[in-house]
Amino acid sequence: MTLPQTVPFLGWSWNDLLFLALAAALLGTALMVVLGRNIIRSGLWMIACFATLAGIYALLGTPLVAAAQVLVYIGAISVLILFAIMLTQTKGGPAALVFHHQAWAAAIAAVVLGVLLALVVSSTEWPLAGEYAATSVKAIAQLLFSDYILPFEIVGVLLLAAVIGGVFLAKRDAPRDEPHGERPE
Amino acid sequence: MPMELLVTLLLALPIAGFGLTALVGRRLGTRAWVIAVPAIVVTWAIAMVVVWTAFSGGLGEGGLHFTLYEWVPAGAFTIEANFAVDNLAAVLLIVVTTVGMLVHVYSIGYMAHDPGRWRFFAYLNLFMFSMLLLVLAGNFMLLFAAWELVGLCSYLLIGFWYPRPSAAIAAKKAFLVNRVGDVGFALGIFAVWTTVGTLNFTDAFERLSDGLAGGRIEAWAITGIALLLFCGAVGKSAQFPLHVWLPDAMEGPTPVSALIHAATMVNAGVYFVARANPLFSLSPEAMFVVAAIGIFTAILAASIALTQNDIKRVLAYSTLSQLGYMFASLGVGAYVAAIFHMTAQGFTKGLLFLGSGSVIHGVHEEQDMNRMGGLWRRMPITHATMLVGSLSMAGIPPLAAFFSKDEILGEAFRNGFLWVWLVGILVAALTAFYMFRLMGKTFYGPSRVDPAVEPHVRESPRSMTVPLILLAIPAALLGLILGLPFGAGLIGQWLGPIFAGAEENLGRHPEAVQVLGVDGVLILVSVAVATAGLAVAIRLFGFHWPLRGDDTEAQPERVAALTARAPRLYRASFRKWWFDELNDLLFVRVGGRVAHFIWWFDRAIVDGTVNGIGDLAQSAGRDLRRIQTGRVQNYALGIALALIVMAGGFLIVTAR
Amino acid sequence: MSQSLDSYLALSALLFAVGTFGFLARRNAIAMLMSIELMLNAVNLTIVAFGAFVPALQPDASVIALVVMAVAAAEATVGLAIVIAIYRNRRTPLVDEYAQMRE
Repeated sequence: MTLPQTVPFLGWSWNDLLFLALAAALLGTALMVVLGRNIIRSGLWMIACFATLAGIYALLGTPLVAAAQVLVYIGAISVLILFAIMLTQTKGGPAALVFHHQAWAAAIAAVVLGVLLALVVSSTEWPLAGEYAATSVKAIAQLLFSDYILPFEIVGVLLLAAVIGGVFLAKRDAPRDEPHGERPE
Repeated sequence: MPMELLVTLLLALPIAGFGLTALVGRRLGTRAWVIAVPAIVVTWAIAMVVVWTAFSGGLGEGGLHFTLYEWVPAGAFTIEANFAVDNLAAVLLIVVTTVGMLVHVYSIGYMAHDPGRWRFFAYLNLFMFSMLLLVLAGNFMLLFAAWELVGLCSYLLIGFWYPRPSAAIAAKKAFLVNRVGDVGFALGIFAVWTTVGTLNFTDAFERLSDGLAGGRIEAWAITGIALLLFCGAVGKSAQFPLHVWLPDAMEGPTPVSALIHAATMVNAGVYFVARANPLFSLSPEAMFVVAAIGIFTAILAASIALTQNDIKRVLAYSTLSQLGYMFASLGVGAYVAAIFHMTAQGFTKGLLFLGSGSVIHGVHEEQDMNRMGGLWRRMPITHATMLVGSLSMAGIPPLAAFFSKDEILGEAFRNGFLWVWLVGILVAALTAFYMFRLMGKTFYGPSRVDPAVEPHVRESPRSMTVPLILLAIPAALLGLILGLPFGAGLIGQWLGPIFAGAEENLGRHPEAVQVLGVDGVLILVSVAVATAGLAVAIRLFGFHWPLRGDDTEAQPERVAALTARAPRLYRASFRKWWFDELNDLLFVRVGGRVAHFIWWFDRAIVDGTVNGIGDLAQSAGRDLRRIQTGRVQNYALGIALALIVMAGGFLIVTAR
Repeated sequence: MSQSLDSYLALSALLFAVGTFGFLARRNAIAMLMSIELMLNAVNLTIVAFGAFVPALQPDASVIALVVMAVAAAEATVGLAIVIAIYRNRRTPLVDEYAQMRE
């Protein structure tokens, strides 16, 4: 069974429908992240947001980036965040106040900023903006290991540094083992 | 001996006397006078030499002008200490040194029991120096310095008994009122400088009259300068409206009143206007003001003298009145008459004041005439000399003041100032009246002296009576010596050339005095008026006829009846026409309010503004500090807002 | 609509705005970090969108997006480590109580 050319009832293309659905989902989950009371729930909504974003990347014809999104963001960063949440739970549940006093100003600023940005980019004539085209993984791979080999390596070192730094920063100040006996804790 | 040296000595001796007495006077005790008095006697002698030389023409045409040294060497504004000795200065020298010397001698006796006598003699010498400097000064600056010095000495001497509050207040009042006049005077000096660029008398007057003739100086400028300078004379010579200090100046010892406030300092104003006659005669408006103020002061003061009870106050108001005469005379252009009257009045008033001092001394410091009486028996010399003085003052011929007063009135009439003449005649009548009221209350009738004091009333010591006698001589004879024949007497010959220029400016041509014409009638009228006043006073207050030996009784009931018929006038006269109250209201109260307001303004608004700025800075800082919360999110919000503003602004600008 | 660059860019802008709001308004430090991740993702979306619609930028855009992802991971690591360290010291994850540097 093949799909009809356009969406029934609405007359849009399937691509458009998919885009709208994903866009709505993206913004909705993002809002749930920032507005949620329970921080663990916020974390989970964030995972959903990342997943939606992966879908959008796929829609844009870059499946590699979509896969990387899932792997890195959902698989690593989100887990990291959830662990951190659990490590910094205060006793007695979440705090009474989720937002600052400045939340209203922040909201207005954010809205204005968003609208401003959207207007600016929409009204700009981007040169060379042509038709949408997908990217091949092969081309990415070739680029990554030839022109961008140095950034690739540096990012690796960066990640190493981040790991070491993170470990160092977050470890407990444990008592050292002295040669002539243990110091009481 | 060169003249310059002598003149310099005239100044050097008194100031040296002052210095020495101030340094060692206290240790001299009763002999505190041994430095001061001889210094003045020698000064008098030197002055007589100078005067003789001047009147015999030995000082040359226009007098002796010399410079002692350069006082202010400031480039364009160079002032020298230069002196001018001409006949006018010579006349003043006579009065100042003679009366000064006699007052010094008199003070030996008068201040014999006063512990502060060394101060007194020191101040007296300082005063002599200041007054001589004033008379001899050759430029405005030196004159002004002497002017102020004289005022200072007046302050020191009026407030000599400074523990007494009324004396201290009177001294302050004198100085302050003088100061008011001095402001005008100083402004006048500034005006002279800016108009003609020199402060030397001869040069300045020459340039002023040349400037007016040549059209370079406006007439109103000349009038303005003259009036400003006249302000100083008004203050120093206690003319209306700055007359209020002179009666209160009687708080000082009587020799002070005699010297400063009768014979010398108050004449400084008259002397100055006479000196500045080339300037004043150029401005008819200024002359009119001078005459008006002068004659108004004369009648004002005479009206107050009618009712005063303090013997010294009557004499003070009499001085005011006679000064008014002098200024009226200057104002109508009768310069010689004015100086003549000044000379006569100087001796006469000096005599009267010293005499009153003798009386006060005799009745043990009582000054209220209602508590005197019948003193002619106990104090014969004082009585006789004061009788001479009173007759002279009243304008009875052939005594001194008759001649001078008459010449003033005659000149006024002849030059068309009929109103001056009329008021002057009235004042003459009043003068005779109040002088003999004074005599009647003081010397005649039954004794009203305090019974406890009465037995001790006796004549004053010789150191006091001798100066009285010595002063009575010129008071009696000066008129005859200097004033005859009428209008062409010695005084006219001496001073005529000095005022010749002024006479020209005024368009006057000296005419001979016709005794058998208009002038004779005028003389008769003034004598008649004076006699009438005298007669009324004798009827009301009593008299002792020296030759007949009997008395005219006083009639106090008559006096009381007269007073009762015009109670408001009496009260106005007695209360000095409420002038002090007016001054108090206008200046003290209103001034106090204004000062209070300005104080409030300064505190609330000026300080408020300054403090407000400080507070503003503080509160601004305090409030701005709250931006630094230490919280990253607040800072981030700031960044976001700034970004929005900048981006939005950029968009708006580029969208145009 | 899905064929126009503008819609993707607008979407990205809105996501960025949401992230900004979360960053400025939440009290919990970890919630702030999550909002930062949202903002980074919005940027990534912009990069990939440009890559799709501007042929000259492909495939560099994808490479750049991958690098951004890696850097985001590193940054999240270090950031969370710091938050944990502070939490150990202050016993609270609420940023408005980290006010030691206030005036």
